[in-house]
Amino acid sequence: MTTHATGTREQWLAARLDLLAAEKDLTRRSDAVAQLRQALPWVRVDKDYRFETDKGPVSLGDLFAGRSQLLVYHFMFGPDYKAGCPSCSMIADGFNGLDVHLANHDVMLWAVSRAPLAKLQAYKSRMGWTFPWASSHGGDFNFDFNVSFSEAQERAGEVEYNFARNTHAMDQVPPPAPVAQFAASCGIDVRTFRRDRPGMSAFVREDNAIYHTYSTYARGVDAIWGTYAFLDRAPKGRNESGVWWRRHDEYDQH
Amino acid sequence: MRTTIVSHEDWLKARHELLAAEKAFTRERDALTRRRAALPWERVTKPYRFEGRDGPLSLADLFEGRSQLIVYHFMFAPDWDEGCKSCSFWADNFNGITVHLNHRDVTLTAVSRAPFARLEAYRKRMGWTFPWVSSANSDFNFDYRVSFTPAELAAGEANYNYGVQPIDVSDEVGISVFARNADGVFHTYSCYGRGIDMMNSAYQFLDLVPKGRDEGSFSFPMSWVRRHDDYAAQTESRHTCHSCGPASAA
Repeated sequence: MTTHATGTREQWLAARLDLLAAEKDLTRRSDAVAQLRQALPWVRVDKDYRFETDKGPVSLGDLFAGRSQLLVYHFMFGPDYKAGCPSCSMIADGFNGLDVHLANHDVMLWAVSRAPLAKLQAYKSRMGWTFPWASSHGGDFNFDFNVSFSEAQERAGEVEYNFARNTHAMDQVPPPAPVAQFAASCGIDVRTFRRDRPGMSAFVREDNAIYHTYSTYARGVDAIWGTYAFLDRAPKGRNESGVWWRRHDEYDQH
Repeated sequence: MRTTIVSHEDWLKARHELLAAEKAFTRERDALTRRRAALPWERVTKPYRFEGRDGPLSLADLFEGRSQLIVYHFMFAPDWDEGCKSCSFWADNFNGITVHLNHRDVTLTAVSRAPFARLEAYRKRMGWTFPWVSSANSDFNFDYRVSFTPAELAAGEANYNYGVQPIDVSDEVGISVFARNADGVFHTYSCYGRGIDMMNSAYQFLDLVPKGRDEGSFSFPMSWVRRHDDYAAQTESRHTCHSCGPASAA
């Protein structure tokens, strides 16, 4: 039997129209927040960051590939990880294929991680992805944009992530079960695992200077996590009580 | 585009203010999801037929054994040679995530009116793997308000996105959601027009960059969008949908 409330077409439509007004309001709120983002001041980037890419070593300016805007997805893949973070992998399944659209609208989308390039290339090939992915191995980039932390910071509990200190689930002692589970799935211990975090940073290039415009972390990446946008329309919603997702080639193993 | 250039410390102050607004928005979105899940369901009584790779299918078959079905109403009318370019953009967004949805008890399927063979050929050209079935010779598209009758087209207006609107194209875009249990199949939700905005992650990415969506100078917002294999050629599309511009502009 159906336990959910059912109704006639007219009853459903009346409820749907109420919801529609709220949905339109939310879409407008989303536009308004995007406008606030665009009004943020910029910070000039003076450090000469270097990255390893499929085409060899490049600068931050090179990542723009002639566009005026650069969007970096900080993909959690520390130097010692055996595989990329499963959550970042699910997010990447959503944006793989979108880079070509964005590149034709003045935005270069790159994933950047601290693992050496060869590790990123092997994992990218395993996952069947085509988006550009650069290694920031050995550089300050990840640390400066608050997605990687030193062993000393991790040990001292001085991790400043998502604009706050020690507030994230990954910082909890002892680590919550999902954090331990993710660390294990990356073939690494929790302390090493949590030294890298997910996020996104935006940059702009103007008059030969590069500026940092925006960064977001933690649930700030929710809106670009495509799977959730669809689940938010399903009758059961997100329907989760814990970590249910796997790398797309690992579902059958569980 | 130039804005104020500041120190990292001053940027951080501004960023903290924005963060509060972002968090408030995320919570509102969660609240709306709960409201959506509370919508009543309406029973589907019509025996819709679809054509897939293995022959005819019922609406219940499209669930592929799961209890929830999301239908992407992909604009591909019977007389079109290619699918809508904007729907193709949306499909690039969901092509890689269907496997994850499947593991939350959701099947995501595209449905269009063009004959199955034409959908299949286009799907292969675009390199997509999601299921896509034809609703040719069925009332499905008309009942869920994404296809319009010759009479509606002649009148130049039809009910779309929960209101009477000017219509100059036979097929429009939308997403409809269904639930299935031992009791039958139920329609739970449909959205149209900008209602599908949040299912396009590329736009959510653009909402993070300094220029934003940057479509203000175009005659219609999505005029920069091409099929992913068409960017090099920069070809114009013949078919556009309501939200991306009038067909006459194509």
